[in-house]
Amino acid sequence: MAYVIGIDIGGTFTDAFVADESGKVAGTKTPSTPPDFSEGFLTVLDELAATLGVGTGALLADTHYIVHGTTSTLNALVTGDVATVGFLTTRGHADSIAIMNLEGRYAGLGADQVQDMVRTDKPKPLVPPELVRELDERIDHKGAVIVELDEEGTRMAIRELVSAGAQAIAVSLLWSFRNPAHEQRVGELVVEEAPGAYVALSSDVSPRIREYARSATTIMNTQVGPRLRDYLRPLEVELRSRGFQGSLLVMQGSGGCVDSSDAPSRAITTIGSVLTGGVVGCTRLAAELGHRNVISTDMGGTTFLAGLVVDGEPVSTTSTVLNQYQLNVPMVDVRTIGAGGGAIAWVDNGGNLHVGPRSAGARPGPACYGDGGTEPTVTDVDLLLGIVNPDNFLGGRKQLSKELAAEAVRMHIAEPLGLSVDDACAAIYAIQNAQTADLVRKVVVTSGHDPRDFVLYAYGGAGPMHCVSYAADLEVSEVIVPLGPTAAVFSAYGLAASDIVLTVELSSPTNFPPEPAEFNGAFFQLRAELEDRLAAQRLRFADVEYRSEADLRYTMQLAEVATPVPTGDLDAAGLDGVGTAFGQRYEQLYGKGSGFAEAGLQLITYRTQAVGVLPIRPKLGEVGRSEGDAQPTSRRRVFLDARRGWQEADIYDYRVLAAGHELKGPAVVEAPTTTVALPEGSVGRVDRLGNLVIRYTQA
Amino acid sequence: MPVFPVAGSEKFANQPASREETLRAVGDSVRLHDVDHAVVDALDPLTYEVVRHRLTSITEEMGEALKRMSGSVVVTDCNDFDAAIMDEVGDVVQVGLYNTELAASLDMAANWTLRNRSRGRGINPGDMFLCNDPWVGGGLHQNDTSLFAPLFVDGELFCWTGAVAHQVDLGGASPGSWSVGATDVFWESLPTPPVKIVEAGEIREDIEDVWLRRSRVPKLVALDLRAKIGANNVAHERLRALCEKYGAGVVKAVMRRTMDDAESRLRAKLRELPDGSWTSVAHQDSARAGDRGIYKIVLKLTKDGDKLVFDFTGTDPQVDGLINCTFAGLRGGIMPVLLTMLCGDLPWAPGGIYRCIEIISEPGTINNCTFPSGIGKASVASAWATTNVATECLAGMLDTHPEHRKRLMSVCCGTWDFALLAGVDQRGGGFVTMLCDSMAGGLGARSDSDGVDTGGLACIPMGRVADVEMNEFAFPMLYLWRREEPDSGGPGRFRGGVGASSCFVPHDSPIGGVHLVVSAPGKALPLASGLSGGLPAGTQHDVLLRGTDVAAQFAAGRIPGSLTDLAGDADLLPAHHETDLGPDDVYYTHWQGGGGYGDPLLRAPAAVASDLRAHKVSQGGAEEVYGVVFGADGVVDEAATTTRRAALRRTRAGLDTEEVTA
Repeated sequence: MAYVIGIDIGGTFTDAFVADESGKVAGTKTPSTPPDFSEGFLTVLDELAATLGVGTGALLADTHYIVHGTTSTLNALVTGDVATVGFLTTRGHADSIAIMNLEGRYAGLGADQVQDMVRTDKPKPLVPPELVRELDERIDHKGAVIVELDEEGTRMAIRELVSAGAQAIAVSLLWSFRNPAHEQRVGELVVEEAPGAYVALSSDVSPRIREYARSATTIMNTQVGPRLRDYLRPLEVELRSRGFQGSLLVMQGSGGCVDSSDAPSRAITTIGSVLTGGVVGCTRLAAELGHRNVISTDMGGTTFLAGLVVDGEPVSTTSTVLNQYQLNVPMVDVRTIGAGGGAIAWVDNGGNLHVGPRSAGARPGPACYGDGGTEPTVTDVDLLLGIVNPDNFLGGRKQLSKELAAEAVRMHIAEPLGLSVDDACAAIYAIQNAQTADLVRKVVVTSGHDPRDFVLYAYGGAGPMHCVSYAADLEVSEVIVPLGPTAAVFSAYGLAASDIVLTVELSSPTNFPPEPAEFNGAFFQLRAELEDRLAAQRLRFADVEYRSEADLRYTMQLAEVATPVPTGDLDAAGLDGVGTAFGQRYEQLYGKGSGFAEAGLQLITYRTQAVGVLPIRPKLGEVGRSEGDAQPTSRRRVFLDARRGWQEADIYDYRVLAAGHELKGPAVVEAPTTTVALPEGSVGRVDRLGNLVIRYTQA
Repeated sequence: MPVFPVAGSEKFANQPASREETLRAVGDSVRLHDVDHAVVDALDPLTYEVVRHRLTSITEEMGEALKRMSGSVVVTDCNDFDAAIMDEVGDVVQVGLYNTELAASLDMAANWTLRNRSRGRGINPGDMFLCNDPWVGGGLHQNDTSLFAPLFVDGELFCWTGAVAHQVDLGGASPGSWSVGATDVFWESLPTPPVKIVEAGEIREDIEDVWLRRSRVPKLVALDLRAKIGANNVAHERLRALCEKYGAGVVKAVMRRTMDDAESRLRAKLRELPDGSWTSVAHQDSARAGDRGIYKIVLKLTKDGDKLVFDFTGTDPQVDGLINCTFAGLRGGIMPVLLTMLCGDLPWAPGGIYRCIEIISEPGTINNCTFPSGIGKASVASAWATTNVATECLAGMLDTHPEHRKRLMSVCCGTWDFALLAGVDQRGGGFVTMLCDSMAGGLGARSDSDGVDTGGLACIPMGRVADVEMNEFAFPMLYLWRREEPDSGGPGRFRGGVGASSCFVPHDSPIGGVHLVVSAPGKALPLASGLSGGLPAGTQHDVLLRGTDVAAQFAAGRIPGSLTDLAGDADLLPAHHETDLGPDDVYYTHWQGGGGYGDPLLRAPAAVASDLRAHKVSQGGAEEVYGVVFGADGVVDEAATTTRRAALRRTRAGLDTEEVTA
């Protein structure tokens, strides 16, 4: 038997999913074990083996690969528990990471925080001044050496950094992506002066124009690289000692994984590792269900995440913001757009009702948890509206208090506004759904798409309680709530179903079109680099696919648009075709007539992605067919739609539903991991994989 | 030639008009949508919040669309633009989080258009109006070009949307439309009153040609025009859908209530503050190239109950030069500070906020000038100085209240260090660009914490500077450095944010150099005032070094780290200057930080030590201004610090310092 395993380690839970060639799947979860997450990793393997009824050794011996999603790099950066990094840069430009293009004061903040400008600040410096040295050297925009590298000065700077406590060295010199010679020489000097120290060069980590983000990316990579290395090496040794002979793969933010031996040198690509599992899961499920375009919405207790699948592929971005720093990390575009079930409802001093963006977080959490929270949250409202069964929250693992929830709503919302508690809850529920629709819509529209061309997937503990309402507002065609055997470990399923994805890029800004030889040469170089790296992955691939794109822009425009480039050498006509494709994509993003080709085009960055398709694709098992109609287990009074008010609704227990069952709203489906609200006018149908497919007739 | 009043210009001397005046002027030529106040009163909290949120969301989408479509670095990388939604008479319901100065007078422009363009060709669905006439509104100087569009619902003019952005060059004597020799507006870019450039959804080619013909970079200006069209289109599509879903009456009621809410909550906040008056004076050195005059703007801010009176009586008369601003500029100077310091937690609905303030200003003064005064630099001259006095007065007012003082900032980056480069780029194309490095000014200190170092400008919550590499790719220049400057933040118990400097040499230009226009006052006197005993930030400092040995130093493997490392003739530049840079000429531009808060002698010595380590203050600055003395080991000498601070206090009081040291 051949197995593949996905293990997703989040801050709270470690989830595991296993599939074998025959299509048999299983999943389990166990608490995470910070600070040493590998403990939970090994525990969940044992439990997984037990679920399959085999020994851990036997399971591991037959496992081809384990795909690991880890929150450790992201957590390390957020908490600042990282390696002490020394930073070397071009003389005159050390302050780039402090000036942060000034956008560091507000990058990544919500509109309400930006508006409160007086209270905005830049984050703590990435590297303290005593760990930064400037080097005499200079390369210009063409890659020409203007000032030779001062090797003696560089050696001294490295020694000074080491004696100041640097455990790892980040090097980012101006224009190094154009001509990496100086950086590479500095790298060699680091090896000579500080043997064994982790060193990262910006021309390796992120050879892209714009020194601020390139430097920040290189520094953060250097901060987490040694930690990731020190986490993965012993883990792999431990797995080997238990009989594992396959590959340990690490999930990246790009939605694809990479061999654990290759991961530490590009550690920064693993941030977003746990965020993307859900979108990858949606992508695989969408392939099974035949959906090309999907809006993925993951509403949990503390966050609301939105991502897109277009034409069967997750939508990616080339950069992200972390701790207000701009990072060049190609990754699946998962945006945190709200506060999830923990969003706090409040009344401002003008008597206006708001929901979020402040969140009660995990602590103290919603008032109904009884953990000391006194402000009303969306989860409290879901409870009071009858959607959540207080005895069946998280499968009955947490008892909720209606009294505490009602008291919070009464004190903070109902009384100040002169409303009944019921009406206040109804308003909060509707506001939350409408705002979610606004935010999701922005994600879709700013990616150049129309929500009406999409199916919406809703998961996470709280998403299915709200999805029909915000989906109707967005006018998507239908809603899928993944409820099959993978529901509880959806992200881990996504991991096990992922492929190797490697992305390489190179900035070489030029007027477009360049000579075809220059253009083809750049992609040839990227392709060669990818082939080397693929060969280093220690895996057999069922297939390898290459995808290339070029970031183009209208001259002088700073927003580049990633434009697909056909594989193979292009002639002048082929390049014109790329220019035309850019123009079309541009109009799709920004509106008809917005493009202005007469200004001329520029090409800024070449990028190629290799997808090494892994040989085993977990197949989802089918659930049993229904015989007869679905039987509600009870009825209760719920409020699901502001226009209808309180209604008696059928309550279904998901565990006794079967494929083909149809549930008419108003109804509530209680599943072990979530609760699905079906307002009047919507119909849910259980599909062959156990998902709930919801259509609605109302606008 | 003397500057004389121009007969016929009165038509454009716009002042905000009341709703009644507007309706009278429009007559029955355009049907304006209205909603009964009963509908506003009947709005339930749910509908209000849902629709309000959607309006905010639409404004954000407009800003993003404009930013990503634009071709100007000034827009795409520096966020010198904004977008707004207005009601049917032009009152601004929601303004974007970009350059709020620009959007502060969109209402005047839309309203003027209603009053003056309703007849004849009329105002019809699918029309968009372009304006860069600051006497009418919609911007502060001619570079600020607005494009605003009426949205019709069921045959009625329902509302307006508008987008405004700085255009790099719209003609005039000097590149960048920054005519430093100007004595009046005829040296500058031609102001264009509202003109229907988009009619029934199509760009009018004849009008566009007239518009673009004046520019040195017409293609760029054309691209920006399309960016603004796109932003308005995005908004219209979304607003139409909103009206279909909730009904135009409800959407309009939400607009009214948003403005009412901003007004009533601002008034409530004002009532919590004590009544009183605060005064401030801002000076500008030099009105044009060769001029050495000093010009003042005087503000007396009076807070009376729930309203604010901005009285500019005593401000100097308009001057022959480019530094004047129109009344739109004066409002643009005030609004950003009202928004950031008083409305951080309120809807950004200037239509409501303006109701809480009264402005007293004499036409013919430098921040309320009449045609044809020069206004080419208005946004960063008299409008900016207006922001400075408004900041100082409002911050003083907030400082009286234990809670509201948390939202004050001392004056941010006292002036704009304008440097414009023009010439032929490394690819052989002509270019004109404003170097936006000085966007990274220091923010003013707060009452409980330091100002943000290189944190931006008061008027742009989301400013940006371009990467050095992006500038070097785009323009024929090579930076020696871009760095924060020690001692540039105003000293105080809480220090003002530091400013920074850039130093570059022309590089790789096919014609061997670049053209440079400098327009940067604040050199003769500091302009970012401190508060409550805090000191002002340092002055601006621009130096041109002619015929340096920079090439020889590069060849020898050295990068000069300071001006003193370079041989050559140093020329300390005046406020206004225009010249050419040769291949060995080095330009150094050092812009300002923010003002300090509280007495610097009360600053914690540990904070000064930390600033010293981080190069935010120099050792000299630490000792002379903060009175903090360091031992040989670089550690604070507590005893010597106490003695030194006592001595400094005695000096301040005019007493002999000997007694203390003895």
